[in-house]
Amino acid sequence: MRALDFPIQILARCNTAILRLGRHLSVIALALMVVIMLLQVFFRYALNNALPWPDEAARFCMLWMTGLMAPLALRHGGFVAIDMFQQMLPRLLATILQLTLWLVALIVLIVAVQIGWDHFNAGWLFKSSSMKIPAGLISERPVRMPLAYSYLSLLLSVCLMISVSVELTMRHVRQLLTGHDPLLDNPVSQRAD
Amino acid sequence: MLIWFLPLFLLFLALGMPVFFGLVAAPGILLWLNGQERDIVLLYRNIYNGMDSFPLMAVPFFMLAGELMNKGGITTRLVEFSQALMGHLRGGLAHVNVLSSILFAGLSGSAVADTSALGSMLIPAMEKQGYTRRFAAAITAASSVIGPIIPPSGIMIIYAYVMGESVAALFLAGIVPGILVGTGLMVMIKLLADKYDFPAASRRYSWRERGDASLKAFFPLMTPVIILGGILLGVFTPTEAAAVAVGYALFIGLFVLKTLRARDLPEILSRAAMTSAVVLLLVGAAMAFKTVVSLSHLPETLAAFILSLSENPLILLFLINILLFVVGMFLDAGPAIIILGPILAPIFIALGVDPVHFAIIMSVNLTVGLATPPMGLVLFVASSVSGERVETIARAILPFLAVEILVIFLITYFPALSLTIPRLTGFVQ
Repeated sequence: MRALDFPIQILARCNTAILRLGRHLSVIALALMVVIMLLQVFFRYALNNALPWPDEAARFCMLWMTGLMAPLALRHGGFVAIDMFQQMLPRLLATILQLTLWLVALIVLIVAVQIGWDHFNAGWLFKSSSMKIPAGLISERPVRMPLAYSYLSLLLSVCLMISVSVELTMRHVRQLLTGHDPLLDNPVSQRAD
Repeated sequence: MLIWFLPLFLLFLALGMPVFFGLVAAPGILLWLNGQERDIVLLYRNIYNGMDSFPLMAVPFFMLAGELMNKGGITTRLVEFSQALMGHLRGGLAHVNVLSSILFAGLSGSAVADTSALGSMLIPAMEKQGYTRRFAAAITAASSVIGPIIPPSGIMIIYAYVMGESVAALFLAGIVPGILVGTGLMVMIKLLADKYDFPAASRRYSWRERGDASLKAFFPLMTPVIILGGILLGVFTPTEAAAVAVGYALFIGLFVLKTLRARDLPEILSRAAMTSAVVLLLVGAAMAFKTVVSLSHLPETLAAFILSLSENPLILLFLINILLFVVGMFLDAGPAIIILGPILAPIFIALGVDPVHFAIIMSVNLTVGLATPPMGLVLFVASSVSGERVETIARAILPFLAVEILVIFLITYFPALSLTIPRLTGFVQ
């Protein structure tokens, strides 16, 4: 069993660290969405001067909020599922079933990365209609932001979900062999990280 | 061939696969078997495009506003206000529970938030006055389904987005049905209170005391006025209204009532972001699923089957309500709407049912499903808040469920109940 403990531990630590960072960024993204939207209302009604960029900027933040937070939800059992049938099965069968479902999910995610990579690369060709990258960052003048930066949110999310799925799959294997796993036995207890 | 994606999806779901993966895997596998690899690419792009939406942004905002109000102790003021109005009646606290839910529904779009906020406060209070714990938990769960029926409403935003309806029209259409559910529950409480001699919660408040309580509840009670007023007058879109609600909740929590602290905010934001992320991803997957639904001609096949049962819309609506109710017993309202909306709505709209009316039938029916066993999210929350077993609450809730089923049929067969307000305000022709 030691052979499995070590990789699980390494992967779990990486996931915890990356997802914690993701959670912080996601919180910032949500806060920004609120600020941007209130600015939009304020400028349009108080100053009578509608800004061109808030709509797109807020959507950009929402995509990143979702992309960074979803893998964390996946890890802690936050994805909606019906577990009634699994609860009726004997424990061994339930674990085997879960393992199979995780493998299907993993295949879905791997196919998604392949497609997502092309989608992301195509995103360099399309420019945002209202958001600009400030002067000095990549060129002397402000340039319109390529949509690839938005597309990246889903691609990265899928990659993080793969990392989480691999960890959870290995945990299920360990549960199958040893009968228990701390995260699977009690997914909610670690939601704070 | 492609049409088999629905049974495959249902199989995945029954086996316990997360809905998100099921929505993508089932159509993906069949497209692959069919040799339609290019459409699999479409599946991914539609998940992205489905999430990249301005109207959808109201979902995280309303979730956040709800969390802020909850944490900011606004619930307490609403309950005190309800008590001043109805506490002296026989079965006072039970009435207070329902009225608080109606008021809370105007601030929050979630039944779960309603159950946990009101339940943790009112269930112990009701027990102290001699109600059984299972009755207290049952009325809390039963009344919390009003949350997503009276605007704002998370599931109606999702329905409107997935089906291309107007959020404002659905919001307005939900007002009367929500109040109807509340009134129905109060009538049932009165019947039970007379039979079992429930206690009154307090003496009758004087008008002066009622005035004081209203003043205290003034700021929270203004929230629905701002949201709906703003949308109706065209001052802002529903998404902007949701952001304004967040700003307002933050403002009164931090500066007026001073019940929120700045250091509570990261935790609140994180909770709202987590819940929203799951929902948004699901909506993205639903938009991808919807593409395959239309590619597969499933609605046509299903419509032919449904029309072979009967051509009378009244009978079909009856049957569909039973189907929805059964689905609601096993699945949460959000995912159920996402999956069934694109399949069922076109059939009934073609039969001449108003799209907004059908949206309300579906939303109310599936929302009531949140309080039905065996998979009722609200029942689970009520159980964890009260410490009473789910099965016990599920039995105690039956009289209230009967009322809610009656209301579902009233809404179904009297379209005017949902359509009058949106018609008067010009959101529905």
